[in-house]
Amino acid sequence: MSANATKIADAVKDTIYRSCLLLDDEKWGDFLELCEEDFQYAIKAYSPEIKYDMTYFRGDRKELKTMLDMLPKHNTDHSPLKRHVTVYTVDVDEDGKTATAVTSLVVYQNMLDGINSHVDAGENHLFLIGKYIDKFRMENGRAKFFEREVRLDTRRLDKGTHWVI
Amino acid sequence: MPARNHKQWIATPPLKSDEWVDSRIYTDPDIFEEELEKIFKKTWIPLCHESELSEPFDFRTFTIAREPIIVTRAPDNKVRAFLNVCPHRGNMIERRPSGSFLEGEPSGTPKNMTCMFHAWQFDMKGNCVHISREKEGYQDRIRKEDQGLRRLRCEVQFGGFVWVCLDDNMSQSVEDWAAGCFDCIREAIETEPLEVFHYHKAIINCNYKLWHDTNSEFYHDYMHYHNRITGFNDEYFARKNVVFDNGHVNVNTFEVKYDEYEGFESRAELSFPTFPPNQWYMIDMFPGMNFNLRGSALRADTVTPLAADKVMIEFRGLGLKSDTPEERMIRVNHHNSIWGPFGRNLHEDLIGVTGQGSAMQTGSDVRRILHGRREDNLIHDEVGMRHFYKEWGKWMNRMPSDPMKKYMAAAE
Repeated sequence: MSANATKIADAVKDTIYRSCLLLDDEKWGDFLELCEEDFQYAIKAYSPEIKYDMTYFRGDRKELKTMLDMLPKHNTDHSPLKRHVTVYTVDVDEDGKTATAVTSLVVYQNMLDGINSHVDAGENHLFLIGKYIDKFRMENGRAKFFEREVRLDTRRLDKGTHWVI
Repeated sequence: MPARNHKQWIATPPLKSDEWVDSRIYTDPDIFEEELEKIFKKTWIPLCHESELSEPFDFRTFTIAREPIIVTRAPDNKVRAFLNVCPHRGNMIERRPSGSFLEGEPSGTPKNMTCMFHAWQFDMKGNCVHISREKEGYQDRIRKEDQGLRRLRCEVQFGGFVWVCLDDNMSQSVEDWAAGCFDCIREAIETEPLEVFHYHKAIINCNYKLWHDTNSEFYHDYMHYHNRITGFNDEYFARKNVVFDNGHVNVNTFEVKYDEYEGFESRAELSFPTFPPNQWYMIDMFPGMNFNLRGSALRADTVTPLAADKVMIEFRGLGLKSDTPEERMIRVNHHNSIWGPFGRNLHEDLIGVTGQGSAMQTGSDVRRILHGRREDNLIHDEVGMRHFYKEWGKWMNRMPSDPMKKYMAAAE
Protein backbone atom coordinates (compact mmCIF):
# COMPACT_ATOMS: atom_id res chain seq x y z
CA MET A 1 0.00 0.00 0.00
CA SER A 2 1.36 3.42 -0.92
CA ALA A 3 1.95 6.08 1.69
CA ASN A 4 -1.05 8.02 0.39
CA ALA A 5 -3.28 4.93 0.50
CA THR A 6 -2.15 4.25 4.07
CA LYS A 7 -3.01 7.80 4.99
CA ILE A 8 -6.46 7.43 3.41
CA ALA A 9 -7.02 4.11 5.16
CA ASP A 10 -6.16 5.73 8.49
CA ALA A 11 -8.63 8.54 7.76
CA VAL A 12 -11.32 5.99 6.94
CA LYS A 13 -10.72 4.11 10.18
CA ASP A 14 -10.79 7.36 12.12
CA THR A 15 -14.19 8.26 10.65
CA ILE A 16 -15.63 4.82 11.39
CA TYR A 17 -14.46 4.76 15.00
CA ARG A 18 -15.48 8.38 15.54
CA SER A 19 -18.94 7.67 14.09
CA CYS A 20 -19.40 4.78 16.51
CA LEU A 21 -18.70 7.01 19.50
CA LEU A 22 -21.22 9.54 18.20
CA LEU A 23 -23.86 6.89 17.58
CA ASP A 24 -23.21 5.34 21.01
CA ASP A 25 -23.83 8.78 22.53
CA GLU A 26 -26.95 9.29 20.39
CA LYS A 27 -25.42 12.40 18.84
CA TRP A 28 -27.35 11.86 15.63
CA GLY A 29 -26.67 15.29 14.16
CA ASP A 30 -22.93 14.98 14.70
CA PHE A 31 -23.02 11.56 13.03
CA LEU A 32 -24.78 13.06 10.02
CA GLU A 33 -22.04 15.69 9.83
CA LEU A 34 -19.69 12.82 8.93
CA CYS A 35 -21.95 11.98 5.98
CA GLU A 36 -22.08 13.49 2.51
CA GLU A 37 -25.25 15.23 1.32
CA ASP A 38 -25.98 12.27 -0.96
CA PHE A 39 -25.45 9.74 1.86
CA GLN A 40 -27.47 6.54 1.58
CA TYR A 41 -28.09 4.30 4.60
CA ALA A 42 -29.58 0.81 4.70
CA ILE A 43 -29.95 -2.06 7.15
CA LYS A 44 -30.03 -5.38 5.31
CA ALA A 45 -30.01 -9.06 6.15
CA TYR A 46 -30.23 -12.29 4.25
CA SER A 47 -32.96 -14.55 5.58
CA PRO A 48 -32.28 -18.27 5.15
CA GLU A 49 -35.86 -18.76 6.37
CA ILE A 50 -37.43 -17.13 3.33
CA LYS A 51 -34.30 -17.28 1.14
CA TYR A 52 -34.47 -13.56 0.45
CA ASP A 53 -32.04 -10.67 0.75
CA MET A 54 -34.07 -8.28 2.88
CA THR A 55 -33.87 -4.56 3.45
CA TYR A 56 -35.03 -3.83 6.98
CA PHE A 57 -34.58 -0.09 6.69
CA ARG A 58 -33.28 2.48 4.23
CA GLY A 59 -33.09 6.21 3.93
CA ASP A 60 -31.00 9.06 2.60
CA ARG A 61 -29.42 11.76 4.73
CA LYS A 62 -32.51 13.96 4.69
CA GLU A 63 -34.83 11.07 5.53
CA LEU A 64 -32.59 10.00 8.40
CA LYS A 65 -32.55 13.52 9.79
CA THR A 66 -36.34 13.81 9.58
CA MET A 67 -36.75 10.47 11.31
CA LEU A 68 -34.27 11.26 14.05
CA ASP A 69 -35.79 14.70 14.65
CA MET A 70 -39.15 13.00 15.26
CA LEU A 71 -37.85 10.57 17.87
CA PRO A 72 -39.15 12.65 20.82
CA LYS A 73 -42.69 12.16 19.50
CA HIS A 74 -42.34 8.39 19.64
CA ASN A 75 -42.31 5.94 22.52
CA THR A 76 -38.91 4.31 22.54
CA ASP A 77 -36.82 1.87 24.52
CA HIS A 78 -34.18 4.22 25.91
CA SER A 79 -31.69 1.49 26.75
CA PRO A 80 -28.45 2.75 25.17
CA LEU A 81 -26.95 0.78 22.30
CA LYS A 82 -23.16 0.46 22.43
CA ARG A 83 -21.11 -0.61 19.45
CA HIS A 84 -17.92 -2.66 19.40
CA VAL A 85 -16.30 -2.56 15.98
CA THR A 86 -13.12 -3.68 14.31
CA VAL A 87 -12.26 -2.36 10.88
CA TYR A 88 -11.29 -5.46 8.93
CA THR A 89 -10.43 -4.05 5.51
CA VAL A 90 -10.05 -0.68 3.82
CA ASP A 91 -9.75 -0.71 0.04
CA VAL A 92 -8.67 2.59 -1.46
CA ASP A 93 -9.64 3.23 -5.07
CA GLU A 94 -6.85 3.88 -7.54
CA ASP A 95 -7.63 7.57 -7.87
CA GLY A 96 -7.34 7.99 -4.09
CA LYS A 97 -10.67 9.81 -3.94
CA THR A 98 -12.91 7.03 -2.65
CA ALA A 99 -12.56 4.01 -0.39
CA THR A 100 -14.59 1.05 0.82
CA ALA A 101 -14.33 -0.45 4.31
CA VAL A 102 -15.68 -3.60 5.90
CA THR A 103 -16.06 -3.47 9.67
CA SER A 104 -17.11 -6.18 12.06
CA LEU A 105 -19.99 -4.96 14.24
CA VAL A 106 -21.38 -6.06 17.58
CA VAL A 107 -24.06 -3.98 19.29
CA TYR A 108 -24.85 -4.43 22.96
CA GLN A 109 -27.89 -3.03 24.71
CA ASN A 110 -27.18 -1.51 28.09
CA MET A 111 -30.57 -2.06 29.69
CA LEU A 112 -32.39 0.93 31.11
CA ASP A 113 -36.16 0.93 30.61
CA GLY A 114 -36.93 -1.74 28.03
CA ILE A 115 -38.22 -4.49 30.31
CA ASN A 116 -38.37 -4.13 34.11
CA SER A 117 -35.85 -1.48 35.05
CA HIS A 118 -35.71 -2.58 38.70
CA VAL A 119 -34.37 -5.93 37.62
CA ASP A 120 -32.75 -5.29 34.26
CA ALA A 121 -31.34 -1.76 34.32
CA GLY A 122 -27.56 -1.83 34.13
CA GLU A 123 -27.43 -5.30 32.55
CA ASN A 124 -26.02 -5.78 29.07
CA HIS A 125 -27.64 -7.84 26.33
CA LEU A 126 -26.25 -8.74 22.96
CA PHE A 127 -28.51 -6.80 20.60
CA LEU A 128 -27.23 -7.71 17.18
CA ILE A 129 -24.19 -8.72 15.16
CA GLY A 130 -23.19 -7.94 11.60
CA LYS A 131 -20.92 -5.75 9.51
CA TYR A 132 -20.70 -2.19 8.37
CA ILE A 133 -19.98 -1.98 4.65
CA ASP A 134 -19.07 1.67 4.14
CA LYS A 135 -18.10 3.81 1.17
CA PHE A 136 -16.20 7.05 1.61
CA ARG A 137 -15.17 10.13 -0.31
CA MET A 138 -11.98 11.91 0.65
CA GLU A 139 -12.32 15.61 1.33
CA ASN A 140 -9.39 17.70 2.58
CA GLY A 141 -7.75 14.66 4.11
CA ARG A 142 -10.96 13.55 5.83
CA ALA A 143 -13.09 10.56 4.90
CA LYS A 144 -16.83 11.19 4.67
CA PHE A 145 -19.49 8.50 4.35
CA PHE A 146 -21.51 8.45 1.17
CA GLU A 147 -22.93 5.00 1.71
CA ARG A 148 -23.41 2.72 4.73
CA GLU A 149 -24.89 -0.73 4.59
CA VAL A 150 -25.44 -2.36 7.96
CA ARG A 151 -25.37 -6.02 6.99
CA LEU A 152 -26.98 -7.97 9.82
CA ASP A 153 -26.67 -11.62 10.72
CA THR A 154 -29.27 -11.16 13.44
CA ARG A 155 -32.88 -11.75 12.47
CA ARG A 156 -34.29 -12.24 15.92
CA LEU A 157 -34.51 -8.59 16.87
CA ASP A 158 -37.08 -8.78 19.67
CA LYS A 159 -38.37 -5.28 20.36
CA GLY A 160 -36.17 -3.70 17.68
CA THR A 161 -35.26 -0.04 17.92
CA HIS A 162 -36.03 3.38 16.50
CA TRP A 163 -32.36 4.28 16.40
CA VAL A 164 -29.73 4.30 13.70
CA ILE A 165 -27.46 1.29 14.09
CA MET B 1 -61.54 7.87 43.43
CA PRO B 2 -58.27 8.04 45.34
CA ALA B 3 -55.70 5.27 45.05
CA ARG B 4 -57.25 2.00 46.17
CA ASN B 5 -56.37 -0.41 48.96
CA HIS B 6 -55.86 -4.11 48.16
CA LYS B 7 -59.50 -5.07 48.68
CA GLN B 8 -60.66 -2.27 46.39
CA TRP B 9 -57.91 -3.10 43.88
CA ILE B 10 -58.97 -6.75 43.51
CA ALA B 11 -62.70 -6.07 43.65
CA THR B 12 -64.82 -7.24 40.75
CA PRO B 13 -64.99 -4.39 38.21
CA PRO B 14 -68.38 -2.72 37.68
CA LEU B 15 -68.59 -4.39 34.27
CA LYS B 16 -70.23 -7.48 32.84
CA SER B 17 -68.21 -10.67 33.29
CA ASP B 18 -67.28 -10.74 29.59
CA GLU B 19 -65.77 -7.27 29.80
CA TRP B 20 -62.67 -8.19 31.74
CA VAL B 21 -60.38 -11.14 32.37
CA ASP B 22 -58.51 -12.52 35.33
CA SER B 23 -54.76 -12.11 34.74
CA ARG B 24 -54.12 -15.76 35.62
CA ILE B 25 -55.10 -16.60 32.04
CA TYR B 26 -51.85 -14.83 31.09
CA THR B 27 -49.63 -16.23 33.82
CA ASP B 28 -50.74 -19.67 34.99
CA PRO B 29 -48.42 -22.41 33.65
CA ASP B 30 -51.15 -25.05 33.96
CA ILE B 31 -53.55 -22.98 31.89
CA PHE B 32 -50.79 -22.47 29.33
CA GLU B 33 -50.16 -26.22 29.01
CA GLU B 34 -53.88 -26.75 28.61
CA GLU B 35 -54.00 -24.11 25.85
CA LEU B 36 -51.37 -26.01 23.86
CA GLU B 37 -53.41 -29.21 24.10
CA LYS B 38 -56.90 -27.80 23.70
CA ILE B 39 -56.31 -24.94 21.27
CA PHE B 40 -52.99 -25.02 19.44
CA LYS B 41 -53.12 -28.76 18.77
CA LYS B 42 -56.72 -28.51 17.57
CA THR B 43 -56.98 -25.43 15.34
CA TRP B 44 -55.62 -24.36 11.95
CA ILE B 45 -52.29 -22.53 12.28
CA PRO B 46 -50.77 -20.58 9.36
CA LEU B 47 -47.08 -21.46 9.29
CA CYS B 48 -45.62 -19.73 6.27
CA HIS B 49 -46.30 -18.58 2.74
CA GLU B 50 -46.00 -20.92 -0.23
CA SER B 51 -43.37 -18.62 -1.81
CA GLU B 52 -41.00 -19.77 0.94
CA LEU B 53 -40.96 -23.18 -0.71
CA SER B 54 -41.44 -22.25 -4.30
CA GLU B 55 -39.68 -25.20 -6.00
CA PRO B 56 -40.22 -28.96 -5.78
CA PHE B 57 -38.13 -30.49 -2.96
CA ASP B 58 -38.06 -27.18 -1.02
CA PHE B 59 -38.93 -27.40 2.66
CA ARG B 60 -39.54 -25.27 5.77
CA THR B 61 -39.51 -26.36 9.41
CA PHE B 62 -41.65 -25.08 12.29
CA THR B 63 -43.08 -25.91 15.69
CA ILE B 64 -46.68 -26.02 16.84
CA ALA B 65 -47.27 -26.67 20.53
CA ARG B 66 -43.72 -28.07 20.84
CA GLU B 67 -44.33 -30.52 17.99
CA PRO B 68 -41.71 -30.21 15.22
CA ILE B 69 -43.27 -29.80 11.79
CA ILE B 70 -41.80 -30.02 8.31
CA VAL B 71 -43.57 -28.60 5.26
CA THR B 72 -42.41 -29.84 1.85
CA ARG B 73 -43.22 -29.21 -1.77
CA ALA B 74 -43.30 -32.49 -3.71
CA PRO B 75 -42.57 -33.03 -7.43
CA ASP B 76 -46.35 -32.90 -7.98
CA ASN B 77 -46.09 -29.29 -6.71
CA LYS B 78 -48.33 -30.07 -3.76
CA VAL B 79 -47.42 -28.67 -0.36
CA ARG B 80 -47.63 -31.22 2.45
CA ALA B 81 -46.89 -31.20 6.16
CA PHE B 82 -45.52 -33.92 8.44
CA LEU B 83 -44.25 -34.28 11.94
CA ASN B 84 -40.52 -33.67 11.60
CA VAL B 85 -39.84 -36.76 13.67
CA CYS B 86 -38.22 -40.01 12.61
CA PRO B 87 -40.41 -43.04 13.41
CA HIS B 88 -37.28 -44.99 14.39
CA ARG B 89 -35.73 -43.23 17.40
CA GLY B 90 -37.76 -40.04 17.61
CA ASN B 91 -35.02 -37.80 16.28
CA MET B 92 -35.83 -34.50 14.59
CA ILE B 93 -35.27 -35.29 10.92
CA GLU B 94 -34.48 -31.88 9.45
CA ARG B 95 -32.73 -29.26 11.54
CA ARG B 96 -32.42 -26.39 9.06
CA PRO B 97 -35.12 -23.69 8.89
CA SER B 98 -35.41 -24.08 5.13
CA GLY B 99 -33.67 -25.61 2.16
CA SER B 100 -33.97 -28.09 -0.66
CA PHE B 101 -33.77 -31.87 -0.67
CA LEU B 102 -32.52 -31.83 -4.25
CA GLU B 103 -29.04 -32.26 -2.86
CA GLY B 104 -28.35 -35.36 -0.84
CA GLU B 105 -27.42 -35.03 2.80
CA PRO B 106 -24.32 -36.70 4.25
CA SER B 107 -26.29 -39.74 5.49
CA GLY B 108 -28.72 -39.90 2.59
CA THR B 109 -29.48 -39.54 -1.10
CA PRO B 110 -30.85 -36.66 -3.20
CA LYS B 111 -34.60 -35.97 -3.27
CA ASN B 112 -35.24 -37.59 0.10
CA MET B 113 -35.52 -36.41 3.67
CA THR B 114 -32.90 -38.26 5.65
CA CYS B 115 -32.68 -38.80 9.37
CA MET B 116 -28.96 -38.29 9.92
CA PHE B 117 -28.91 -40.63 12.93
CA HIS B 118 -29.43 -44.01 11.21
CA ALA B 119 -30.08 -42.91 7.61
CA TRP B 120 -33.77 -43.76 7.36
CA GLN B 121 -35.10 -41.90 4.33
CA PHE B 122 -38.49 -40.47 3.34
CA ASP B 123 -39.82 -39.01 0.11
CA MET B 124 -41.68 -35.71 -0.25
CA LYS B 125 -45.00 -37.46 0.33
CA GLY B 126 -43.79 -38.83 3.65
CA ASN B 127 -43.32 -42.41 2.47
CA CYS B 128 -40.44 -44.25 4.09
CA VAL B 129 -38.24 -45.28 1.15
CA HIS B 130 -35.19 -46.62 2.93
CA ILE B 131 -34.38 -48.37 6.19
CA SER B 132 -30.72 -49.12 6.59
CA ARG B 133 -30.09 -52.89 6.73
CA GLU B 134 -33.82 -53.39 6.99
CA LYS B 135 -34.03 -57.17 6.50
CA GLU B 136 -30.96 -57.91 8.58
CA GLY B 137 -32.30 -56.12 11.63
CA TYR B 138 -36.05 -56.34 11.42
CA GLN B 139 -36.58 -59.35 9.14
CA ASP B 140 -40.25 -58.60 8.26
CA ARG B 141 -41.36 -57.30 11.66
CA ILE B 142 -40.77 -53.66 10.67
CA ARG B 143 -41.07 -52.82 6.97
CA LYS B 144 -40.43 -49.48 5.32
CA GLU B 145 -43.85 -49.72 3.69
CA ASP B 146 -45.35 -49.29 7.17
CA GLN B 147 -43.00 -46.64 8.51
CA GLY B 148 -44.19 -43.47 6.80
CA LEU B 149 -44.01 -40.13 8.54
CA ARG B 150 -46.93 -38.80 10.53
CA ARG B 151 -48.85 -36.75 7.96
CA LEU B 152 -50.69 -33.61 9.03
CA ARG B 153 -53.68 -31.76 7.69
CA CYS B 154 -52.31 -29.08 5.37
CA GLU B 155 -53.97 -26.55 3.07
CA VAL B 156 -52.75 -23.59 1.04
CA GLN B 157 -55.33 -20.85 1.37
CA PHE B 158 -55.97 -17.11 1.37
CA GLY B 159 -53.28 -15.72 -0.87
CA GLY B 160 -50.95 -18.70 -0.60
CA PHE B 161 -50.52 -19.14 3.16
CA VAL B 162 -49.75 -22.66 4.33
CA TRP B 163 -52.07 -23.80 7.11
CA VAL B 164 -51.49 -26.88 9.24
CA CYS B 165 -53.65 -28.60 11.83
CA LEU B 166 -52.30 -31.27 14.18
CA ASP B 167 -55.77 -32.73 14.76
CA ASP B 168 -56.84 -35.31 12.16
CA ASN B 169 -60.39 -34.91 13.42
CA MET B 170 -60.66 -31.17 12.82
CA SER B 171 -64.07 -31.01 11.16
CA GLN B 172 -63.59 -27.68 9.40
CA SER B 173 -61.55 -26.83 6.32
CA VAL B 174 -59.42 -23.66 6.46
CA GLU B 175 -62.16 -21.94 4.48
CA ASP B 176 -64.74 -22.97 7.07
CA TRP B 177 -62.42 -22.10 9.94
CA ALA B 178 -61.89 -18.55 8.62
CA ALA B 179 -65.68 -18.12 8.55
CA GLY B 180 -65.52 -15.22 6.09
CA CYS B 181 -62.97 -13.10 7.92
CA PHE B 182 -60.75 -12.91 4.80
CA ASP B 183 -63.54 -11.65 2.54
CA CYS B 184 -62.52 -8.02 3.04
CA ILE B 185 -59.09 -8.52 1.40
CA ARG B 186 -59.61 -11.75 -0.50
CA GLU B 187 -59.70 -10.24 -3.98
CA ALA B 188 -56.68 -8.08 -3.21
CA ILE B 189 -54.53 -11.02 -2.09
CA GLU B 190 -55.80 -13.65 -4.53
CA THR B 191 -55.89 -11.81 -7.85
CA GLU B 192 -52.23 -12.56 -8.48
CA PRO B 193 -49.49 -14.53 -6.67
CA LEU B 194 -47.82 -12.98 -3.63
CA GLU B 195 -44.24 -13.27 -2.45
CA VAL B 196 -42.64 -12.88 0.98
CA PHE B 197 -40.01 -10.14 1.13
CA HIS B 198 -39.64 -9.68 4.87
CA TYR B 199 -39.02 -11.95 7.83
CA HIS B 200 -37.86 -11.33 11.35
CA LYS B 201 -38.79 -12.68 14.72
CA ALA B 202 -39.18 -11.48 18.28
CA ILE B 203 -39.21 -13.49 21.47
CA ILE B 204 -41.01 -11.43 24.08
CA ASN B 205 -41.61 -12.17 27.73
CA CYS B 206 -45.36 -11.92 27.68
CA ASN B 207 -48.27 -14.24 27.14
CA TYR B 208 -49.24 -14.78 23.50
CA LYS B 209 -52.76 -13.50 24.14
CA LEU B 210 -51.43 -10.11 25.20
CA TRP B 211 -49.84 -9.77 21.77
CA HIS B 212 -53.07 -10.79 20.10
CA ASP B 213 -55.00 -8.37 22.31
CA THR B 214 -52.76 -5.56 21.07
CA ASN B 215 -53.49 -6.49 17.48
CA SER B 216 -57.19 -6.72 18.28
CA GLU B 217 -57.71 -3.31 19.84
CA PHE B 218 -57.02 0.06 18.25
CA TYR B 219 -57.49 2.07 21.44
CA HIS B 220 -53.71 1.69 21.77
CA ASP B 221 -53.24 4.01 18.78
CA TYR B 222 -52.64 6.64 21.47
CA MET B 223 -49.23 4.94 21.81
CA HIS B 224 -48.42 5.48 18.11
CA TYR B 225 -47.62 9.02 17.00
CA HIS B 226 -47.68 7.79 13.41
CA ASN B 227 -51.22 6.44 13.68
CA ARG B 228 -52.50 9.51 15.50
CA ILE B 229 -51.10 11.89 12.91
CA THR B 230 -52.15 9.82 9.87
CA GLY B 231 -55.54 8.82 11.33
CA PHE B 232 -57.60 10.21 14.19
CA ASN B 233 -60.16 11.91 12.00
CA ASP B 234 -63.89 11.32 11.57
CA GLU B 235 -63.31 8.52 9.09
CA TYR B 236 -60.91 6.77 11.47
CA PHE B 237 -63.36 6.92 14.36
CA ALA B 238 -66.09 5.51 12.09
CA ARG B 239 -64.15 2.27 11.45
CA LYS B 240 -66.05 -0.78 12.56
CA ASN B 241 -64.95 -3.99 14.25
CA VAL B 242 -66.75 -6.93 12.66
CA VAL B 243 -66.86 -10.31 14.38
CA PHE B 244 -66.92 -13.72 12.72
CA ASP B 245 -67.48 -17.26 13.96
CA ASN B 246 -64.56 -19.07 15.59
CA GLY B 247 -63.29 -15.98 17.40
CA HIS B 248 -62.04 -14.00 14.39
CA VAL B 249 -62.40 -10.26 13.90
CA ASN B 250 -61.97 -7.69 11.11
CA VAL B 251 -61.11 -4.09 11.67
CA ASN B 252 -62.65 -2.20 8.81
CA THR B 253 -60.82 0.24 6.65
CA PHE B 254 -60.43 3.97 6.21
CA GLU B 255 -58.15 6.15 4.10
CA VAL B 256 -54.83 6.62 5.87
CA LYS B 257 -53.21 10.04 5.33
CA TYR B 258 -49.64 8.78 5.13
CA ASP B 259 -48.28 12.08 3.90
CA GLU B 260 -49.36 13.73 7.16
CA TYR B 261 -46.34 12.03 8.76
CA GLU B 262 -43.24 13.95 7.77
CA GLY B 263 -41.08 11.99 5.37
CA PHE B 264 -43.81 9.49 4.45
CA GLU B 265 -45.71 9.29 1.18
CA SER B 266 -49.04 8.15 -0.16
CA ARG B 267 -49.20 4.45 -1.00
CA ALA B 268 -51.87 4.78 -3.63
CA GLU B 269 -49.60 3.98 -6.56
CA LEU B 270 -48.82 0.45 -5.43
CA SER B 271 -52.11 -0.67 -3.95
CA PHE B 272 -52.77 -4.40 -4.06
CA PRO B 273 -55.03 -5.41 -6.99
CA THR B 274 -58.56 -4.03 -6.70
CA PHE B 275 -57.70 -2.49 -3.33
CA PRO B 276 -58.72 1.17 -3.02
CA PRO B 277 -55.84 3.61 -2.41
CA ASN B 278 -54.36 3.93 1.08
CA GLN B 279 -56.94 1.67 2.69
CA TRP B 280 -56.09 -0.48 5.69
CA TYR B 281 -57.84 -3.68 6.76
CA MET B 282 -56.84 -5.91 9.61
CA ILE B 283 -57.81 -9.53 10.29
CA ASP B 284 -57.30 -11.00 13.75
CA MET B 285 -57.69 -14.74 13.80
CA PHE B 286 -58.17 -16.95 16.80
CA PRO B 287 -55.98 -18.11 18.49
CA GLY B 288 -53.37 -15.46 17.68
CA MET B 289 -52.68 -14.78 14.01
CA ASN B 290 -52.88 -11.43 12.32
CA PHE B 291 -53.09 -10.27 8.70
CA ASN B 292 -52.75 -6.60 8.01
CA LEU B 293 -53.10 -5.01 4.57
CA ARG B 294 -52.02 -1.40 4.41
CA GLY B 295 -52.60 -0.64 0.72
CA SER B 296 -49.25 -1.55 -0.75
CA ALA B 297 -47.93 -4.17 1.68
CA LEU B 298 -49.36 -7.18 3.48
CA ARG B 299 -48.10 -8.08 6.93
CA ALA B 300 -48.71 -11.48 8.51
CA ASP B 301 -47.86 -12.27 12.14
CA THR B 302 -47.82 -15.78 13.53
CA VAL B 303 -47.34 -16.61 17.20
CA THR B 304 -45.65 -19.61 18.72
CA PRO B 305 -46.40 -19.64 22.45
CA LEU B 306 -43.29 -20.85 24.31
CA ALA B 307 -44.43 -20.54 27.94
CA ALA B 308 -47.13 -18.77 29.91
CA ASP B 309 -44.88 -15.72 29.92
CA LYS B 310 -43.01 -16.13 26.63
CA VAL B 311 -44.05 -15.93 23.00
CA MET B 312 -42.23 -16.01 19.69
CA ILE B 313 -43.76 -13.75 17.06
CA GLU B 314 -42.72 -14.14 13.42
CA PHE B 315 -43.30 -11.15 11.18
CA ARG B 316 -43.65 -11.46 7.43
CA GLY B 317 -44.10 -8.83 4.77
CA LEU B 318 -45.52 -9.66 1.34
CA GLY B 319 -45.83 -7.98 -2.01
CA LEU B 320 -46.81 -9.08 -5.48
CA LYS B 321 -44.66 -11.71 -7.14
CA SER B 322 -44.85 -9.63 -10.34
CA ASP B 323 -43.21 -6.57 -8.70
CA THR B 324 -40.40 -4.91 -10.63
CA PRO B 325 -37.28 -4.31 -8.50
CA GLU B 326 -38.28 -0.65 -8.21
CA GLU B 327 -41.82 -1.50 -7.13
CA ARG B 328 -40.55 -4.04 -4.66
CA MET B 329 -38.18 -1.56 -3.06
CA ILE B 330 -40.98 0.95 -2.56
CA ARG B 331 -43.24 -1.74 -1.14
CA VAL B 332 -40.49 -2.90 1.22
CA ASN B 333 -40.03 0.69 2.40
CA HIS B 334 -43.74 1.10 2.98
CA HIS B 335 -43.83 -2.09 5.00
CA ASN B 336 -40.70 -1.58 7.04
CA SER B 337 -41.02 2.11 7.79
CA ILE B 338 -43.97 1.18 10.03
CA TRP B 339 -43.73 -2.54 10.67
CA GLY B 340 -40.05 -3.43 10.36
CA PRO B 341 -37.78 -4.03 13.36
CA PHE B 342 -36.52 -0.46 12.89
CA GLY B 343 -39.93 0.96 11.95
CA ARG B 344 -42.13 3.50 13.69
CA ASN B 345 -44.92 1.34 15.13
CA LEU B 346 -43.75 -2.21 15.74
CA HIS B 347 -41.13 -1.16 18.30
CA GLU B 348 -43.82 0.69 20.23
CA ASP B 349 -46.23 -2.26 20.14
CA LEU B 350 -43.55 -4.58 21.45
CA ILE B 351 -42.54 -2.21 24.25
CA GLY B 352 -46.22 -2.13 25.22
CA VAL B 353 -46.67 -5.89 25.56
CA THR B 354 -43.26 -6.27 27.20
CA GLY B 355 -44.49 -3.91 29.89
CA GLN B 356 -47.63 -6.00 30.35
CA GLY B 357 -45.50 -9.14 30.57
CA SER B 358 -43.28 -7.53 33.20
CA ALA B 359 -46.26 -6.41 35.25
CA MET B 360 -48.06 -9.77 35.02
CA GLN B 361 -45.69 -12.60 35.76
CA THR B 362 -46.33 -16.09 37.04
CA GLY B 363 -47.14 -15.64 40.71
CA SER B 364 -48.07 -11.97 40.39
CA ASP B 365 -51.11 -10.85 42.33
CA VAL B 366 -54.28 -11.43 40.32
CA ARG B 367 -55.25 -8.40 38.27
CA ARG B 368 -58.48 -7.53 36.48
CA ILE B 369 -57.65 -6.70 32.88
CA LEU B 370 -60.39 -4.67 31.25
CA HIS B 371 -61.82 -4.80 27.76
CA GLY B 372 -65.13 -3.19 28.47
CA ARG B 373 -65.13 -0.23 26.07
CA ARG B 374 -68.40 -0.19 24.17
CA GLU B 375 -68.76 2.29 21.31
CA ASP B 376 -71.22 0.66 18.93
CA ASN B 377 -68.46 -1.67 17.67
CA LEU B 378 -66.49 1.33 16.40
CA ILE B 379 -62.72 1.46 16.29
CA HIS B 380 -62.06 1.95 20.03
CA ASP B 381 -64.77 -0.49 21.08
CA GLU B 382 -63.04 -3.52 22.61
CA VAL B 383 -65.44 -6.01 21.09
CA GLY B 384 -62.54 -7.79 19.35
CA MET B 385 -61.06 -8.92 22.64
CA ARG B 386 -64.47 -9.80 24.08
CA HIS B 387 -65.15 -11.94 21.03
CA PHE B 388 -61.74 -13.63 21.33
CA TYR B 389 -62.20 -14.48 25.01
CA LYS B 390 -65.67 -15.86 24.44
CA GLU B 391 -64.11 -18.29 21.97
CA TRP B 392 -61.18 -18.97 24.32
CA GLY B 393 -63.62 -19.79 27.11
CA LYS B 394 -65.41 -22.34 24.95
CA TRP B 395 -62.23 -24.12 23.82
CA MET B 396 -60.78 -24.12 27.33
CA ASN B 397 -64.02 -24.65 29.21
CA ARG B 398 -62.87 -21.93 31.58
CA MET B 399 -64.33 -18.54 32.38
CA PRO B 400 -61.86 -15.86 31.29
CA SER B 401 -62.94 -13.68 34.20
CA ASP B 402 -62.62 -16.58 36.66
CA PRO B 403 -60.53 -19.28 34.99
CA MET B 404 -60.97 -21.78 37.81
CA LYS B 405 -64.67 -21.97 36.90
CA LYS B 406 -66.09 -23.91 33.97
CA TYR B 407 -67.17 -21.75 31.05
CA MET B 408 -70.64 -23.16 30.53
CA ALA B 409 -71.46 -23.53 34.22
CA ALA B 410 -70.57 -19.91 34.87
CA ALA B 411 -72.41 -18.71 31.77
CA GLU B 412 -75.63 -20.23 33.05
